[in-house]
Amino acid sequence: MNREKIYVIVFDSTHYAIAAEKNLKDKGYKFNMIPTPREITANCGLSIMFNEDILGYIKKDVESKNLKVKGIYEMEKTLHEKKVTQIG
Amino acid sequence: MLKKVDARGMNCPLPVIHTKKALETIENGKITTIVDNEVAKENVSKLAKSLDFKVDIQQSQGNYYIDIFKEHNMIEPIDMDIHCDTTPKKDLVILISKDRLGEGSEELGKILMKGYIYTLTEVQPLPKSILFLNGGVNLVVEGAETIEHLRDLESKGVEILSCGACLDYFKVKNKLLVGGIGNMYHIVEKLNNAQNTIKL
Repeated sequence: MNREKIYVIVFDSTHYAIAAEKNLKDKGYKFNMIPTPREITANCGLSIMFNEDILGYIKKDVESKNLKVKGIYEMEKTLHEKKVTQIG
Repeated sequence: MLKKVDARGMNCPLPVIHTKKALETIENGKITTIVDNEVAKENVSKLAKSLDFKVDIQQSQGNYYIDIFKEHNMIEPIDMDIHCDTTPKKDLVILISKDRLGEGSEELGKILMKGYIYTLTEVQPLPKSILFLNGGVNLVVEGAETIEHLRDLESKGVEILSCGACLDYFKVKNKLLVGGIGNMYHIVEKLNNAQNTIKL
């Protein structure tokens, strides 16, 4: 079965998320800004979602810019559900 | 004690009702409910889970054998989410007339609209059509960050239609990247024929 593994970074506030989006966009990374998935938190919030290949770069970038992160999650999507594991 | 509930051929929500009744009649032990469709299987296992009973499901020749183990007293089911009608709502039409969602901040509004369109790809049932007009057409043309999600929706069978006059007005007709072009007749017909519409 084809399982899609994606990564999600949840920020401490909307402002950090917006700042991260701007920064990562400037760097030309391929990612999506998405509403935080329900499996992670029921709070309304913004997150960025991207593939495994750029996880290291994005993590480093976000850290160096002092953007406050609430958590980094690995999400495995199957047909019926999303499995979420916190990895940072 | 062992008991069987043969719920094959029963209409929703009867398999759930009969299973619950059977569970009420025993002190403890196992109930096996036999159903012949996926929806009934889901609903009966939801019942068992909401009662906090262990469930074991086996499939054989198109039937599902659901073993439910009553190991403690029954409580009233909590959070039992039984669905009988699982057919997608095919009559929802969404009209998007701006490139942002809500009032207050333009920056936030654009982010929210992007998030809205992404979330549409994740939630069932999918809408039948999404219509774009006036500033909404900014979301379907070159440079828009919503293209990927709209293409995803289109590939899942959602009709994406943009107002031709609007694309023309903003001089972006040749920059359309997703969906088709329609005129006001299309838009009026789609909206009039929809049983459910959302205007953003």
